[in-house]
Amino acid sequence: MSERRPFHRQQARRWWAHKPYLAYTVRELSGVAVALYGAILLAGLICLWRGPEAYADFQRILRSDGAFAVHLVLLAAVLWHVVTWFQILPKTMPKLILGGRQVPQRQVTAIALLVAMVCSAALLVVVVAIGAMS
Amino acid sequence: MRTTVLRPTVLHHPAPKRSIAPVFWLLFGAGGMLSALFGPALIILTGFMLPHGWGVPASFSDFPHVLAFVHHPIGKLLVLAVIALFFWHGAERLFLTLKDMRAGPLLVLRLLTYGVAALLTLVTIALLLAIGF
Repeated sequence: MSERRPFHRQQARRWWAHKPYLAYTVRELSGVAVALYGAILLAGLICLWRGPEAYADFQRILRSDGAFAVHLVLLAAVLWHVVTWFQILPKTMPKLILGGRQVPQRQVTAIALLVAMVCSAALLVVVVAIGAMS
Repeated sequence: MRTTVLRPTVLHHPAPKRSIAPVFWLLFGAGGMLSALFGPALIILTGFMLPHGWGVPASFSDFPHVLAFVHHPIGKLLVLAVIALFFWHGAERLFLTLKDMRAGPLLVLRLLTYGVAALLTLVTIALLLAIGF
Protein backbone atom coordinates (compact mmCIF):
# COMPACT_ATOMS: atom_id res chain seq x y z
CA MET A 1 0.00 0.00 0.00
CA SER A 2 1.34 3.36 -0.88
CA GLU A 3 0.71 6.17 1.49
CA ARG A 4 -1.03 9.28 0.26
CA ARG A 5 1.45 12.13 0.21
CA PRO A 6 -0.21 15.22 -1.25
CA PHE A 7 1.98 18.08 -2.37
CA HIS A 8 1.80 21.16 -0.17
CA ARG A 9 3.13 24.31 -1.74
CA GLN A 10 5.22 26.41 0.58
CA GLN A 11 3.52 29.63 1.59
CA ALA A 12 4.91 32.44 3.68
CA ARG A 13 3.13 32.79 7.00
CA ARG A 14 2.28 36.42 6.38
CA TRP A 15 1.83 36.17 2.60
CA TRP A 16 -0.93 38.80 2.73
CA ALA A 17 1.54 41.49 3.87
CA HIS A 18 3.79 41.02 0.82
CA LYS A 19 3.55 41.74 -2.87
CA PRO A 20 1.62 40.84 -4.97
CA TYR A 21 -1.01 39.97 -2.35
CA LEU A 22 -0.67 43.26 -0.47
CA ALA A 23 -2.87 45.02 -3.05
CA TYR A 24 -5.61 42.44 -2.37
CA THR A 25 -5.31 42.91 1.40
CA VAL A 26 -5.47 46.71 1.14
CA ARG A 27 -8.48 46.50 -1.18
CA GLU A 28 -10.37 44.19 1.17
CA LEU A 29 -9.56 46.30 4.23
CA SER A 30 -10.75 49.45 2.42
CA GLY A 31 -14.14 47.71 2.43
CA VAL A 32 -13.84 47.32 6.20
CA ALA A 33 -13.41 51.13 6.45
CA VAL A 34 -16.94 51.36 5.03
CA ALA A 35 -18.18 49.36 8.04
CA LEU A 36 -16.18 51.55 10.46
CA TYR A 37 -17.92 54.62 9.07
CA GLY A 38 -21.24 52.81 9.61
CA ALA A 39 -20.17 52.32 13.24
CA ILE A 40 -19.69 56.11 13.66
CA LEU A 41 -23.20 56.70 12.31
CA LEU A 42 -24.56 54.02 14.66
CA ALA A 43 -22.82 55.74 17.60
CA GLY A 44 -24.57 58.96 16.58
CA LEU A 45 -27.91 57.15 16.42
CA ILE A 46 -27.38 55.74 19.93
CA CYS A 47 -26.61 59.26 21.23
CA LEU A 48 -29.70 60.61 19.45
CA TRP A 49 -31.82 57.94 21.18
CA ARG A 50 -30.31 58.72 24.61
CA GLY A 51 -31.28 62.39 24.39
CA PRO A 52 -30.06 65.96 23.81
CA GLU A 53 -27.15 65.78 26.28
CA ALA A 54 -25.66 62.59 24.86
CA TYR A 55 -26.17 63.97 21.35
CA ALA A 56 -24.35 67.20 22.30
CA ASP A 57 -21.40 65.06 23.47
CA PHE A 58 -21.43 63.25 20.12
CA GLN A 59 -21.39 66.58 18.29
CA ARG A 60 -18.49 67.81 20.45
CA ILE A 61 -16.48 64.68 19.66
CA LEU A 62 -17.18 65.06 15.92
CA ARG A 63 -15.79 68.62 16.07
CA SER A 64 -12.52 67.43 17.70
CA ASP A 65 -9.23 67.18 15.81
CA GLY A 66 -9.12 63.42 16.41
CA ALA A 67 -12.48 62.87 14.73
CA PHE A 68 -11.36 65.13 11.87
CA ALA A 69 -8.24 62.98 11.35
CA VAL A 70 -10.25 59.74 11.59
CA HIS A 71 -12.67 60.99 8.94
CA LEU A 72 -9.77 61.98 6.66
CA VAL A 73 -8.37 58.44 6.90
CA LEU A 74 -11.83 56.94 6.33
CA LEU A 75 -12.36 59.23 3.33
CA ALA A 76 -9.05 58.12 1.77
CA ALA A 77 -9.90 54.44 2.39
CA VAL A 78 -13.41 54.79 0.95
CA LEU A 79 -12.06 56.63 -2.12
CA TRP A 80 -9.74 53.65 -2.67
CA HIS A 81 -12.76 51.37 -2.17
CA VAL A 82 -14.61 53.34 -4.88
CA VAL A 83 -11.72 53.00 -7.38
CA THR A 84 -11.16 49.27 -6.75
CA TRP A 85 -14.91 48.53 -6.64
CA PHE A 86 -15.33 49.82 -10.17
CA GLN A 87 -12.12 48.12 -11.34
CA ILE A 88 -13.75 44.84 -10.28
CA LEU A 89 -17.15 45.74 -11.79
CA PRO A 90 -16.34 44.86 -15.47
CA LYS A 91 -14.87 41.53 -14.32
CA THR A 92 -18.02 40.50 -12.45
CA MET A 93 -20.71 41.70 -14.85
CA PRO A 94 -21.59 40.13 -18.23
CA LYS A 95 -19.61 41.37 -21.24
CA LEU A 96 -20.96 44.73 -22.35
CA ILE A 97 -21.38 44.67 -26.13
CA LEU A 98 -22.37 47.86 -27.91
CA GLY A 99 -22.65 48.06 -31.71
CA GLY A 100 -21.14 44.57 -32.12
CA ARG A 101 -18.01 45.47 -30.16
CA GLN A 102 -17.12 44.61 -26.61
CA VAL A 103 -16.68 47.70 -24.47
CA PRO A 104 -13.14 47.53 -22.98
CA GLN A 105 -12.95 46.93 -19.22
CA ARG A 106 -11.06 50.18 -18.68
CA GLN A 107 -13.87 52.11 -20.32
CA VAL A 108 -16.53 50.44 -18.13
CA THR A 109 -14.47 51.40 -15.05
CA ALA A 110 -14.06 54.99 -16.27
CA ILE A 111 -17.78 55.43 -16.96
CA ALA A 112 -18.74 53.90 -13.60
CA LEU A 113 -16.28 56.17 -11.77
CA LEU A 114 -17.80 59.17 -13.54
CA VAL A 115 -21.31 58.06 -12.47
CA ALA A 116 -20.06 57.66 -8.87
CA MET A 117 -18.55 61.14 -8.85
CA VAL A 118 -21.80 62.61 -10.21
CA CYS A 119 -23.81 60.76 -7.51
CA SER A 120 -21.59 61.97 -4.65
CA ALA A 121 -21.44 65.54 -6.02
CA ALA A 122 -25.23 65.58 -6.53
CA LEU A 123 -25.84 64.56 -2.90
CA LEU A 124 -23.62 67.38 -1.62
CA VAL A 125 -25.21 69.92 -4.00
CA VAL A 126 -28.74 68.89 -2.89
CA VAL A 127 -27.85 69.26 0.81
CA VAL A 128 -26.15 72.65 0.26
CA ALA A 129 -29.13 73.82 -1.84
CA ILE A 130 -31.62 72.78 0.87
CA GLY A 131 -29.44 74.64 3.39
CA ALA A 132 -29.35 77.77 1.25
CA MET A 133 -33.14 77.74 0.76
CA SER A 134 -34.00 77.19 4.43
CA MET B 1 -36.06 -17.14 -24.47
CA ARG B 2 -36.04 -14.10 -22.24
CA THR B 3 -36.09 -10.68 -23.72
CA THR B 4 -35.17 -7.55 -22.02
CA VAL B 5 -36.85 -4.31 -22.71
CA LEU B 6 -34.41 -1.48 -22.98
CA ARG B 7 -35.80 1.50 -21.21
CA PRO B 8 -34.31 4.90 -21.56
CA THR B 9 -32.08 5.49 -18.61
CA VAL B 10 -33.29 8.19 -16.32
CA LEU B 11 -30.54 9.78 -14.31
CA HIS B 12 -31.68 11.01 -10.99
CA HIS B 13 -29.71 14.04 -9.92
CA PRO B 14 -30.29 14.88 -6.31
CA ALA B 15 -31.50 18.46 -5.91
CA PRO B 16 -28.46 20.64 -5.29
CA LYS B 17 -28.09 21.64 -1.68
CA ARG B 18 -29.37 25.13 -1.16
CA SER B 19 -26.80 27.61 0.04
CA ILE B 20 -27.48 30.87 1.84
CA ALA B 21 -24.23 32.37 0.50
CA PRO B 22 -26.12 34.41 -2.18
CA VAL B 23 -27.93 36.31 0.59
CA PHE B 24 -24.61 37.48 2.01
CA TRP B 25 -23.33 38.29 -1.47
CA LEU B 26 -26.43 40.37 -2.18
CA LEU B 27 -25.98 42.38 1.05
CA PHE B 28 -22.24 42.71 0.33
CA GLY B 29 -22.90 43.94 -3.21
CA ALA B 30 -25.64 46.36 -2.16
CA GLY B 31 -23.41 47.85 0.55
CA GLY B 32 -20.45 48.04 -1.82
CA MET B 33 -22.46 49.82 -4.50
CA LEU B 34 -24.17 52.22 -2.08
CA SER B 35 -20.83 53.16 -0.49
CA ALA B 36 -19.12 53.44 -3.88
CA LEU B 37 -21.77 55.83 -5.20
CA PHE B 38 -22.47 57.95 -2.11
CA GLY B 39 -19.81 56.99 0.49
CA PRO B 40 -17.34 59.86 -0.15
CA ALA B 41 -20.15 62.47 -0.06
CA LEU B 42 -21.59 60.97 3.14
CA ILE B 43 -18.22 61.12 4.91
CA ILE B 44 -17.60 64.71 3.74
CA LEU B 45 -21.12 65.62 4.89
CA THR B 46 -21.27 63.98 8.34
CA GLY B 47 -17.53 64.16 9.06
CA PHE B 48 -16.69 67.71 7.97
CA MET B 49 -19.58 69.85 6.70
CA LEU B 50 -22.29 69.18 9.30
CA PRO B 51 -20.11 69.22 12.48
CA HIS B 52 -18.35 72.45 11.46
CA GLY B 53 -21.24 74.10 9.63
CA TRP B 54 -19.27 74.36 6.38
CA GLY B 55 -21.60 75.14 3.46
CA VAL B 56 -24.70 74.20 5.47
CA PRO B 57 -26.55 76.04 8.27
CA ALA B 58 -25.07 75.17 11.68
CA SER B 59 -28.57 74.25 12.87
CA PHE B 60 -28.68 71.28 10.42
CA SER B 61 -26.73 69.03 12.76
CA ASP B 62 -28.47 70.05 16.00
CA PHE B 63 -30.67 67.70 18.00
CA PRO B 64 -34.18 68.78 16.80
CA HIS B 65 -33.21 68.72 13.09
CA VAL B 66 -31.55 65.31 13.20
CA LEU B 67 -34.37 63.93 15.36
CA ALA B 68 -36.95 65.19 12.84
CA PHE B 69 -34.97 63.50 10.03
CA VAL B 70 -34.90 60.18 11.90
CA HIS B 71 -38.60 60.51 12.88
CA HIS B 72 -39.58 60.52 9.21
CA PRO B 73 -40.13 57.04 7.69
CA ILE B 74 -37.94 57.85 4.66
CA GLY B 75 -35.21 59.17 6.96
CA LYS B 76 -35.44 55.96 8.98
CA LEU B 77 -35.10 53.83 5.83
CA LEU B 78 -32.08 55.82 4.63
CA VAL B 79 -30.35 55.54 8.01
CA LEU B 80 -31.06 51.81 8.20
CA ALA B 81 -29.90 51.19 4.60
CA VAL B 82 -26.63 53.05 5.07
CA ILE B 83 -25.69 51.62 8.49
CA ALA B 84 -26.82 48.00 7.93
CA LEU B 85 -25.56 47.60 4.36
CA PHE B 86 -22.19 49.20 5.23
CA PHE B 87 -21.81 46.70 8.08
CA TRP B 88 -22.71 43.73 5.84
CA HIS B 89 -20.25 44.92 3.22
CA GLY B 90 -17.40 45.16 5.72
CA ALA B 91 -18.37 41.84 7.30
CA GLU B 92 -18.17 39.93 4.01
CA ARG B 93 -14.79 41.44 3.11
CA LEU B 94 -13.36 40.87 6.59
CA PHE B 95 -14.66 37.28 6.68
CA LEU B 96 -13.15 36.31 3.32
CA THR B 97 -9.83 38.00 4.15
CA LEU B 98 -9.56 36.35 7.58
CA LYS B 99 -10.55 33.02 5.99
CA ASP B 100 -7.73 33.40 3.44
CA MET B 101 -5.34 34.32 6.26
CA ARG B 102 -6.49 31.14 8.11
CA ALA B 103 -7.00 33.35 11.14
CA GLY B 104 -9.16 30.84 13.00
CA PRO B 105 -12.00 28.31 12.84
CA LEU B 106 -14.64 29.29 10.27
CA LEU B 107 -17.44 29.29 12.83
CA VAL B 108 -15.56 31.82 14.97
CA LEU B 109 -14.81 33.99 11.93
CA ARG B 110 -18.47 33.86 10.84
CA LEU B 111 -19.65 34.90 14.29
CA LEU B 112 -17.10 37.74 14.40
CA THR B 113 -18.14 39.12 11.00
CA TYR B 114 -21.67 38.09 9.91
CA GLY B 115 -22.69 37.69 13.55
CA VAL B 116 -21.63 41.22 14.46
CA ALA B 117 -23.25 42.64 11.30
CA ALA B 118 -26.52 40.84 12.08
CA LEU B 119 -26.47 41.99 15.71
CA LEU B 120 -25.75 45.62 14.80
CA THR B 121 -28.50 45.54 12.14
CA LEU B 122 -30.98 44.46 14.82
CA VAL B 123 -29.66 47.16 17.19
CA THR B 124 -30.14 49.80 14.45
CA ILE B 125 -33.72 48.63 13.78
CA ALA B 126 -34.47 48.62 17.52
CA LEU B 127 -33.06 52.15 17.95
CA LEU B 128 -35.01 53.51 14.98
CA LEU B 129 -38.22 52.02 16.41
CA ALA B 130 -37.41 53.24 19.94
CA ILE B 131 -36.83 56.79 18.67
CA GLY B 132 -40.36 56.60 17.27
CA PHE B 133 -42.21 58.28 14.42
